[in-house]
Order: sequence, then structure tokens, then C-alpha cells
Amino acid sequence: MALPLPPGLTPPEVAFLCEMELVTVVPRQRLEGLELLGGTTPELRPPYRAVLPLWLALLLKRQRRANILPPPWLHPSSLDTILRLETEVHKETFSPPPLFPPSNNNLHETRSAPFLPSCTADAAADALPYHWLEVGEILLDAAPDDLVEPDTVRRLMRDLREVRMAKMRAGVAVLDGGAVVGLKGVGGMEVSEGRAFISGVIDNLRKIGASREQSRREREAEERENGYDDADEDEDMGL
Amino acid sequence: MAATIQHRIRGRPAHTPGPTFLTYTPDGRRLITAGSNNSVRVYTTGSDGEPTNVDDCQESNTAVVATDDFFITGSEDGTVSMYSLQSNTLEKMLLRCTLPIRDIALSPDGNWAAVASDELVVKVVNTQDMTRVLYLREQSKPVKHLSFDPSGTYIALSCSDGVIFVYSLSTEEPALVKKVDGLIRNLETDAEASSRVAWHPDGRAFAAPTPTKDIQVMSNSDWERQRAFSSGHAGDITAFAWSPNGALLASAGTDRKVLLWDCKTQRVIARFDYPNVMAIAWHPTQNLMSFTTSDGEVFMYNDIVPSEYMSLLKKGVQPAPFIHDPLAETLANGNSNGIGQKEGLRRRYGTPDSLDDILGSEGGGDEDDFIVDDDGAGYAERAEFPLKRPYDDYETEPAYAPLAKRTAYEHYRPRMHTPFQVGSTPWRGNRKYLCLNLIGFVWTVDQETHHTVTVEFYDRELHRDFHFTDPYRYDKACLNDNGALFSCSPTDGNPAMIFYRPHETWTTRADWRTTLPPQEHITAIALSDSYIFVSTTANYLRVYTLFGTPFRVFRQKSSPTVTCASWRDYVMTMGNGPVGGDGCTRLMYTIENVKRGEVCQSEDVVALPPNAELRSVFFSDRGDPCIYDSTGVLLVLLHWRTPGQAQWAPILDTKQLERLASGRKEETYWPVAVAADKFHCIILKGGDKYPYFPRPLLSEFDLKIPISSLPAATADDENSSANDGPRLEETFVRTSVELNLMEDLVNATAATHSQRTELARKEVDVDKALLQLLAIECRESEDKGMKALEIVELMRDQTGRMLEAAEKVAARFQRNMLAEKIRELAERRLAGLEDED
Repeated sequence: MALPLPPGLTPPEVAFLCEMELVTVVPRQRLEGLELLGGTTPELRPPYRAVLPLWLALLLKRQRRANILPPPWLHPSSLDTILRLETEVHKETFSPPPLFPPSNNNLHETRSAPFLPSCTADAAADALPYHWLEVGEILLDAAPDDLVEPDTVRRLMRDLREVRMAKMRAGVAVLDGGAVVGLKGVGGMEVSEGRAFISGVIDNLRKIGASREQSRREREAEERENGYDDADEDEDMGL
Repeated sequence: MAATIQHRIRGRPAHTPGPTFLTYTPDGRRLITAGSNNSVRVYTTGSDGEPTNVDDCQESNTAVVATDDFFITGSEDGTVSMYSLQSNTLEKMLLRCTLPIRDIALSPDGNWAAVASDELVVKVVNTQDMTRVLYLREQSKPVKHLSFDPSGTYIALSCSDGVIFVYSLSTEEPALVKKVDGLIRNLETDAEASSRVAWHPDGRAFAAPTPTKDIQVMSNSDWERQRAFSSGHAGDITAFAWSPNGALLASAGTDRKVLLWDCKTQRVIARFDYPNVMAIAWHPTQNLMSFTTSDGEVFMYNDIVPSEYMSLLKKGVQPAPFIHDPLAETLANGNSNGIGQKEGLRRRYGTPDSLDDILGSEGGGDEDDFIVDDDGAGYAERAEFPLKRPYDDYETEPAYAPLAKRTAYEHYRPRMHTPFQVGSTPWRGNRKYLCLNLIGFVWTVDQETHHTVTVEFYDRELHRDFHFTDPYRYDKACLNDNGALFSCSPTDGNPAMIFYRPHETWTTRADWRTTLPPQEHITAIALSDSYIFVSTTANYLRVYTLFGTPFRVFRQKSSPTVTCASWRDYVMTMGNGPVGGDGCTRLMYTIENVKRGEVCQSEDVVALPPNAELRSVFFSDRGDPCIYDSTGVLLVLLHWRTPGQAQWAPILDTKQLERLASGRKEETYWPVAVAADKFHCIILKGGDKYPYFPRPLLSEFDLKIPISSLPAATADDENSSANDGPRLEETFVRTSVELNLMEDLVNATAATHSQRTELARKEVDVDKALLQLLAIECRESEDKGMKALEIVELMRDQTGRMLEAAEKVAARFQRNMLAEKIRELAERRLAGLEDED
């Protein structure tokens, strides 16, 4: 059982997976569609927009062959609205994730993160998608010139992150009583960052609970041996 | 150049040495000065006697403002006091600050006094009721100067960190309108140099001293730098003021000079040697200017404006020195049917205490000379906009006279469409876009003596961006994959010219220029893959080949011409036709194939709703003419290759876009192109009418025919099927339109294989939409059988496979009767028995 890695995805792994997200780019030069394992990419013809995976968009951006259109939620005004939602409306819980887009056929539909158009130019402006933290950080790092007011965006992203981390930590406090914390709307990176802390807390709580349980069992066993009847035991349980 | 004037007037010792300030009452009867001693002096204009002293005031006054009834002073001990002018006594203590007062400004109606102190907050206090105070809090450093605009709506704060904050006071809570950075310099609040903002009396611009010792004018509609009063002072500017009509500017600097500038030319017309001037005030009506020095002296300079420039001072309110005056441009464009602009100007006349009101009889006679050029050398004919008056006979009438006056005693004149160049914007500041399309964009910068033109492409691999100095001042341009076309207006002596520059060439030089006959102005140019089209004020359409050979010239039937657009061998010209029911001329278009000399559509009407204007006209990437009007609707011309059959079909109503459904967004769209079944445009926010710099991103919207007013599909999954009906109906109509266009294209040209496949695909698309509609009808109930059958009858498919599918759909929903009828229909079709019409 000496697996060196902690369970679950590590933050770098989450960041890697997030590069599957689709983003909208405005190409600066022509490129035929590329036959890739994940399917054929659309043909690039400036100035028509095209939807590409983030990793390819970053590659083209670094070579200055494309501009990335930031998703609407990465706009300072939308981030500001979401931050207000987080601090004023949903004081206890996280702001709700984007709604699923309406679709015609319910067959063959994927409802998980990298396959939803949550980071393209027509994504919802008022909700943070699953990979918001990673995509935001990557775009701030690789394409700050394509963002609107990158410094404001950076500040708002940090504010949001701190507000939500605080909520996550506050949520742990109720775990002691065996309660449940709602994690709806929490992003992938937040989960993987919080995993070590939360699972540590729960483990320790279980350990504390386990020793208490252990001592209770022993006491019960002892009492049973001493010949107490069931009624008394029930009273004990009641406590 | 003006010589230094030797005649000197003597200063009157008014205060002890130290900063001294002054103001005239709006009626001009009194001049009030305040200085470092505890006395305020009230001089009566026109009398040389001793002034009245008001002694019960604070020491070290730093500001004084006045109305006809009272004046207000501010002092370094932080008090703002209000004095009555009837009794010359202290009336009340208006406001108290903890730190020294630096400036006071009074709103034009005298009801509000804005107070800047070394505190961060600027307080705007009501002079009648001092409990009513507004706070302006956005600035992070103390404010040095304040100034209200002539209407009293805006207040500009010159902050000591070098930023100008402009607030709007029209709302309940003052709102920050704009932060102007980089115009003024950082100055301590007690510095002698000035960073004051002075609003031009016409209210469209303000001036402020720059770190380079110039006075820069900036318009307050787009916050662009306009003309500057430069290289006059060798030292920092300490005070400056517009003359009451805005035709002259007086400035003083630490170089011990006082200068008078002519606003129109930004030249110095007189110099005076007076050191240490701290404040300048013009008399509201007379040729009299007063100023105070830091020695505590006040100078009242009668006849300061030399007699040869007196005519400037006598005029009504003059326009602010714009580089390209938007008003002058509208005017020069003739009798536009811009309704909004008319109102804009009338508001100006109605300003409660505009300078014309104050000037009374002197200014009364020529209220309109703001536009009408009375001295024969007016600004409308300035060298900067030499032409732009194509239709002189149409605009001798004062086009923008107040409406009441017009209807009373002027004969009726139709409103006409103004000529425009597709894809260009008007001047804003010293820049404009000459052309914006899907290939790239062309913009020009006015550098006073010449322009610089920059051409940039979206596809940087295919074309190389270029940039050139342009002595001809090109004002129109077209850009496509082959080359760039420019044209300029005739200037004195030089006829109009067009210039074509291909992007690629295998000879050394392929660009060429050609000139037009004298007196002929260019109204619009168009460039296609094979020809160049130039539409002129002589109503000619001149056609050139790509290498400059004149190909054809003919006269357009409708006149005056408005614009033109082209695609391959086709050209679409537009002109004003007969007057329609709404008092506006009907816009007429003609489409012609110049290669074959065939007229496709002759003098047909451009379908516009009442009072709407044409915003743009272009060919889509498949070669179908599209127009975008001021109501935000995009239309395409169906069947335009067959004479008499053309029909305008709406393909997108931008007012019904989903993004506007929330009602929170306030935006308009500037059309660029229709390509790949999408509408490409630039989103304009905040009441902008044209795109500006930095170049905004292109947005694209799917085409959507305005069919029903049902709300768009909500994101909720369960409900989306309820909206399927209207959505499919829209799909059906839209694909039918696309199919029509495609059919025409395939029939009229030597269609490629891919075009034929696409035609077949579009046919299937139409039937597919119908099939889905049929499924919905079948699901609803048995009663909808009649409609279901009608939907099946609409199917175009001749092979019978679609009808077979329809029959299956009906059978799946157990609509056996319907399935039977569909089978009958299919049999009749196969046998060719169905009667057409």
C-alpha cells in the first residue's frame, strides 16, 4: 500500500486536462483542417472565428498565428458580477455553474467538462465553468493582450479565488457533525487543491471518531459481560 | 506675426503681494478681486474711482466667484464665505473644510458652488441651501482646479496627480464620466503654474495646459485631442481664458508674457509683457480683459483686442477648434435626413444662459452664424475641409434652422440621402477608417500638412501590411484581395484623383493614378475582382479596368448619387429618386453587369421603412446584394439577376438578437459583411455610432429571419422542445431563402461541382426542417392533420424519399389517416398528376 502519490488528480494534471477545453480564436493566417486523433480541426480562414482546443490555440497564439477570444465570463464586468454573487447573494454556497446548453438530440451527449462549450466566445457570461481557474490563469499568462483589462481580470480572479477558498474552508467546519458540504459549482482545480486539506480533515475526524467509537464498543462489551440488560444499553445509545 | 504692443497700462495695487484672483459678475458691471490680505475689492466697470472694500473676510483668499447678486470667496483657512453684492457684507459661511481651499467654481445658473480643497473629496454645495452638498470622491489626490461646462451638466476636476476627472451632475448622484490621463501635468495644489480646464463656450470641447507649455483642446464627445495652441509660451502657463464667444484665447505664463490667440488659426495675434499673471477674466460684453498678478496688482486692460481683430470678438459663439469639426462635416454633406442631428443643434440655442443671451442685442442678429458663413472666410471653407460641398444648390438654405421657423415661411424641401462610402467612418479626432471589411482595414491620420495611411490585413500570411505618407489626402478607400483603391477630392487647382495599388505584381511598378475632369467630385468608389467603379457628383459612373484603362462611362438615372458597391462584373449604384410619402426621397438602385452591358435591375426601389436610412450596402461572399438600414435590419436581394423580379428579404433583425433579450445591453451594430451564412459586424456600445481605435473585434451572428416574437429557447432543457416549432419554422423560411439564392447562382453561372452539391444539400435541408415540423404537428394531436398534410405538400423533394419518410413519421404517431393521405400524395407526385398553380 505504499503508493507515493496522493489519491485523485494533482493540480498539474488538472491543468493539463483543461487544455482539452474548446476556445474561440481569430486566426491571423490560413490553415487547413488538421487530422488529429481527437477529430479534424476546423479550417482556419482569417478573419472568421474558429473553435479549437485550448492547447492548439495556445500553440498558434505563441507563434502569433491567432488571437484568442476570451470567454465572456473572463470579462471584468462579468467577473465583477460573479464576485458580487459570491459575496452578497450566495453567501454560504458557491455561485451556480453554467446551465447546460439546450440541445436537439439527447443521444450521444456528453455532459462533462472539456466537451461543453463553456470557454468559447458564446459561453454564458454570468457563471464560472468547471475549468474557470485553469483557463483564466492560462489565458492571463499566455494571451494577456487579447483580454480586456488584464490587470483588472487578474485582480478579480484572485478575489474570486480567495472568496471561494474561504468558503471551502468554512465548509469543512461543519463536517465534524457528520454533515454534508455542497460542492456544486466548485471548479476542478479548486477540488484538487482542496483535496489534500479536506481529506486530511476528514481522515483526522474519522480517527478521532474511531478512537471514541472504539472506547465505546469496549465499554459496551465490558458492560455486557458484567450482565447489564438491554434496556440500559438503549439508554446509553440515547446519549 | 503680431508685434509686442508697447503701450502699457498701470497696475492698480489692490492687495498685498501674494496670489490674487478676480472674477467678473455675469452682467459685467463689477469686477471682484481677492488676495492675500483680509479685504475683497469690488470695482465698478467703467469707473476709475476707488473700489468698494469688503473687510470682514478671511486672509489669504485663494478663489473668488460671483453671480450678479453675490460672490463667494475661499480662503486658506478652509472657509468658504458668501457675500451679498447689494450690501457688500458677509451673508453666510457656506462651507468649512479642514484644509486650505484651492479653487471654487460656480455652476452657470449660480445654484451650485463646487469647492476644491486639499482634502480628497470635492464638495458641491447649493448656494441657497447649504445643507445640500454633493460629494465627488473618485480622485485619489487633492484637486487643484475645477470648472463647470457652459451647460452646467459636467464638471471637470484637475487633480494634482495629472488626471482630469469629468463628472456628470445631471443625475441625483454625481457620476464619473471620464478620466483623462496624460493631458495635464502633476502639479501641487499650491503651484503657481496652472492645470486648469477651460470649457470652450460652445460646450463641445475644453482646453487645458500640457506639460509642453501648449494649450491643448479636447472634445468632450469622444475625448480626442483636437487642435493645440502651441509654441507661444517659453514658461509654464499660469492662467488662460476663452473670450466670451470663444473666438479668442488669452493666456499668461511664467515667461512674463500675456498672449492673445485667434482660435480659428491658433496663431498669436497680440503679445503683452506682464509678469506673474495669476488669473485672467474677460469682460462678458466689452473689449476689456482684466488680470491679476502675484504682486497683488490688478490690471484692467481696455481695448485689449487690436482693432483689426475686433470683428472676431463681435461674432456670436464660435465653434471650438476641432481638427475635423463633426458639425461642419454634416453641413458639408448637404441636406441630410439625419433627424437626431437637427435636435442636437437646437438644444444649443436653447441653453438657458448661453452667451448669446448674455450678449443680448449684439449677438441677437446672427444667432445662426454659427453655421452660416457670414464673413466670407469662415470655417466651413477652411482649407482643412476644402470640398465636401458637392451640392451647393441644395444647401444655400440654412438646413438646420429651428423647425418652427422652417415650417412657417420656407417652401417645402424633401430630405435626401447623403452620399457615403461603404465601410468608412467620419473623422474622429485626427483619425478615420477609410475602409473596414473582411480582408483588412485602411485608416488614415491627419498630420496637419499631410495624411498617413495604414493598410492592415487580417490574413498576415497572404498579404503584407503597408503604410505610406499621403500628400493627396485620400478620403475614400476600397480593399480586396487583389489591391487597394484610394481616391481624393479636388483641392484648389488639382482635380479629383484615384489611385490603385495592387498587392502583388510581377513588374516593377503596377500602381497607377488617374484624374477626373475638373470640378467633378467623387461620391463613392468600389473595387471588384475585375473592375474599378467611381461614382461622381456629375452623376457619372466611371468604370476602369484594374490596370487603369477607362472602360465605360455612363450617367446614372437617379440623382444625386448616394453610393455604389460591386462584385465581379456586377455593380450596384444607388441614388435619390422621387419623393416618397414621408417627405424623404426614395432610394433607387440599379444593378448592371458591365462586362456584358446587361442591366439586371433598373431603377428599382431600395425597400426602407419610413424615416429609416441606409447604413451600408455590400455584396455577400456568394455575390448577393445586402443592405443594412438604421432600424438594424439586414436584407438580401432575391432573384436580382432577373429584371423586375428582385425582392428584398430580411435575414436578420439585430433588435431581436438573443443577446439583447435581457434588456440590459445597450448596443448597436456596425455592419461589415455577410459571409459563410453569418453576419459580420462590430458591436458598438455606449451610444457610439462608428467604430474607433483601437480597432474593435469583429463579431459574427447567425442569420435569423424575424418570424415570431416568441422568446428564444431558454437554457432549460425540458422547455426547449416547446420552442422547437417557431425555431423550425424560422429554419424552414431561412433555408428556403438560401435555397432561392443558391438556385439563382447555380443557374446564372457556370457552377462548380461543390456549388451543385451545396444546392442539393440545401434542398434536403428545407425538407428536413419540414419533416421535423411534421413530427411536432403529429405529436400534438389528431386535429392537426390538415396542417400536417399541408406541411407535407410544401416539400420540394421529387424523388419520393422525403414523402416516404413523412409517411413513416405519421405512422409512428399512429396517424393512419394522415399516412394514407401522404401515400396518395406521393403517388400523385410520382405520376406527375399534381397540378402546378
